[in-house]
Amino acid sequence: MGYTELTVWTRGIIMDKEGRDIVNSVSASARLEGKYAQAMENYVDNPDRTNAPTRKYCRVSDTVLENELTYENEHPNIVVLVEGTMVKGWDYMRGMPPGGTLIINTQYTPDYMLRFVPGVERLAQLVCVDAAKLADHKWLYYRLGQLGLDRLSTEGAAERSKAIAPDIAAPLIAAVVKSTGIVKRETIEPMIANKKAFEMALNELHILPLKPVAA
Amino acid sequence: MSTKGTHIPEWLTVPFAGITPAPSQEKGQDLFPTGNWRSIRPVYRDKLPPCNNACGTNEKIQGYLDLVKRGKYLDAYALIKEDMPFPSVTGRVCYHPCEQACNRGQYDEAISIRAVERFLGDLGQALPRDVVKAGTPNGKKIAVVGSGPAGHSAAYQLARLGYKVTIFEKSPKAGGLNRGGIPDWVLPQDVLDREIERLVELGITIKTNSEVGRDVGWDDLKKNYDACVLAVGLTEPNSVRAEGENKDGVLYGLPFLRDIGMATSKVKLGPRVAVIGGGNTAIDCAREALRQGAVEVTMITVEANPQEMPCVPEDLHDMLEEGVELMHGRAMTAVLGNGKVEALQLFPAKFSGAINASPITINREAAAERFAVDNVIIAIGQHASLAWLPAEFKSERGSIKIDRFGRLGDTNFFAAGDIVQLGSGQPLMVVNAVGDGKRVAFNLDKVMRGEPLEPRKIAVDVLMDLNRMNMTYFPHFPRVKQTLLPPVSRRRTQEEVIQGFTEEQAVEEAYRCFSCGTCNACDNCYLVCPEPCIARPARSNGLYKILVEYCKGCRVCIEECPTGCLEGVPELDFDTGVVRMDTAFAITPGLHGRQAQELLNTANKPAKQI
Repeated sequence: MGYTELTVWTRGIIMDKEGRDIVNSVSASARLEGKYAQAMENYVDNPDRTNAPTRKYCRVSDTVLENELTYENEHPNIVVLVEGTMVKGWDYMRGMPPGGTLIINTQYTPDYMLRFVPGVERLAQLVCVDAAKLADHKWLYYRLGQLGLDRLSTEGAAERSKAIAPDIAAPLIAAVVKSTGIVKRETIEPMIANKKAFEMALNELHILPLKPVAA
Repeated sequence: MSTKGTHIPEWLTVPFAGITPAPSQEKGQDLFPTGNWRSIRPVYRDKLPPCNNACGTNEKIQGYLDLVKRGKYLDAYALIKEDMPFPSVTGRVCYHPCEQACNRGQYDEAISIRAVERFLGDLGQALPRDVVKAGTPNGKKIAVVGSGPAGHSAAYQLARLGYKVTIFEKSPKAGGLNRGGIPDWVLPQDVLDREIERLVELGITIKTNSEVGRDVGWDDLKKNYDACVLAVGLTEPNSVRAEGENKDGVLYGLPFLRDIGMATSKVKLGPRVAVIGGGNTAIDCAREALRQGAVEVTMITVEANPQEMPCVPEDLHDMLEEGVELMHGRAMTAVLGNGKVEALQLFPAKFSGAINASPITINREAAAERFAVDNVIIAIGQHASLAWLPAEFKSERGSIKIDRFGRLGDTNFFAAGDIVQLGSGQPLMVVNAVGDGKRVAFNLDKVMRGEPLEPRKIAVDVLMDLNRMNMTYFPHFPRVKQTLLPPVSRRRTQEEVIQGFTEEQAVEEAYRCFSCGTCNACDNCYLVCPEPCIARPARSNGLYKILVEYCKGCRVCIEECPTGCLEGVPELDFDTGVVRMDTAFAITPGLHGRQAQELLNTANKPAKQI
């Protein structure tokens, strides 16, 4: 596969851990598979602000990472939006080479979400997964509106358990693995805490294949 | 907030390096358009207040209370006149379903909506000219049969739409049930006269002493008019089917009141009067009987207790204050006496259920009671007299057969009021008839213009309930009471029992309105927004605007909206409001890449010569 960049967009504090779990587990499995990989967070975004859009990065390469000192992904091949509303909120497609993948956590279909995506012509596939439903993450996700107000967060509550992807990250990792094959399912699955949601997501993805213009 | 490494466009340069403008400062919100933090968006969406929904004619009650609160009485009067031709009448006689539905009733006491309506109605009566004008004449002629509430309302709305309306009234004076069914001490005749004058001012012709079937027939109406509204009402009193009901001294409720109202009454009541029935008309009859000289008035009802009586509790209370006795659980089976009423034969009885004409079970095994009286007034409802109507339009419950738009088949005849509402399950009251008249007038207008008829659509579809409002902003506050004449003095006079509000009282009462679900420009959202992202050019419903590029969706405005008109709508339901943030924290592409490239290249550079 050569060289792949994965950028995860998430919400500050309330979904910070979910984003971090995705990049950490993907890079860890890639290293287990003998590839070169790294994962890091973007602190320029000020991720300690509730609801603020923040980024997490991961790079996987068959050869030594030449740009390991660059602290943002300039040409992401895979973009994950941990919260569906972010589809309207940022130019997350910036720098994506043709043939990329966009994965969104939403209950809407890819057909509906397509209208919000800037630069659709670069996408090879649009993947929608209702991660909140699959992970049965009621207490966090369905109260998202209130969460902006009462400052509950996974930075504290969910993180106390130290488990990787106990919640909505699990279906999103499944979506990344199944739609792009960046790492093997066998290597990453043992790391995931919420195995049930992971397996359900493998079957319940909505993948919309698209034709990238320049590919 | 650091802007280090951030590309700031030229037009957003700030006076001092490193200092960014606060959101409240000019262009401050442009520099950090944080609208992409939001997952829900606050939206102003007015809902339907329960009072408006409960009102028979859907008066915009919240609207006029709000205007009264702000001292705009004339605007409030104009608003009420959209749906209600005679607020001075309903302000006195209405059984106010709005007040029963009022959300404030669950909190402390319902708003005294009727009293404020009366205040506005009286204000309108004092105006030299009405605020309502007749529409541009369209050359079509409409006949309205009956000048009661439904006919009055239909004629009024049709005149506003530009039709040439003629009302036929069988009595010597116009007013129908408003005049003949409501005693003077509730609705003084001059108030009603003034409202009838207002109708004439709109260019409506009123032909009194013209009864349909006698002076004007079905074919005349069909031939001489483009369309016709039948609002004939229920004119014939129901009988109890008791033995000896034809004896002297047996009176019927509505004719008894009607003759007094039309000043044609020759009735002299004896000292002891019994009233049969437990409805609102029976209460009016009992109270009128006192004023006509009776000493002891007893109301005989089939219902087992006062709570079951199909009447308004306030009126019942006022009646008892005036000294009327109640006798429950009895049915009259015979009128005894030699040619004239001397006594009634009563048996224990039970009443089973609904308001309109359901069977009564009389226990004839029990011992009969003899109840000595001089007069008996039977007030157990009315039925229609429809001999003139073609048989195809008569319904099996003795009313006119109509479709759901009030139309008789595919003719240009429409019917409205008690005549069609009888047996439909809803209580027969003035305001329901007015609403019926209004809707039929609009439907008739559509038919005349050749437009398809559609069922009524409510503009705002959600009915607001108390749980969805923020009660923190509403302290408990007692209802402003209308003054009543003392019971002893009102027993013998025709003077109005309930007194109107003064201006101060009306404003105080209007201030108690919750404004359920409708923005009343309280400015709370504007004040509580932690970021200045609610803008308004003026304090008014509809003028508040949310700056979606900046709103972070914190929900503070939604939680703090007292009336519940602000709601959070999922952001993805909107196609609009896309904020592709390209300024703050959006690092120029390649900036760090270039730095990293230089770092990489350092290894290949020859060491510096020192």
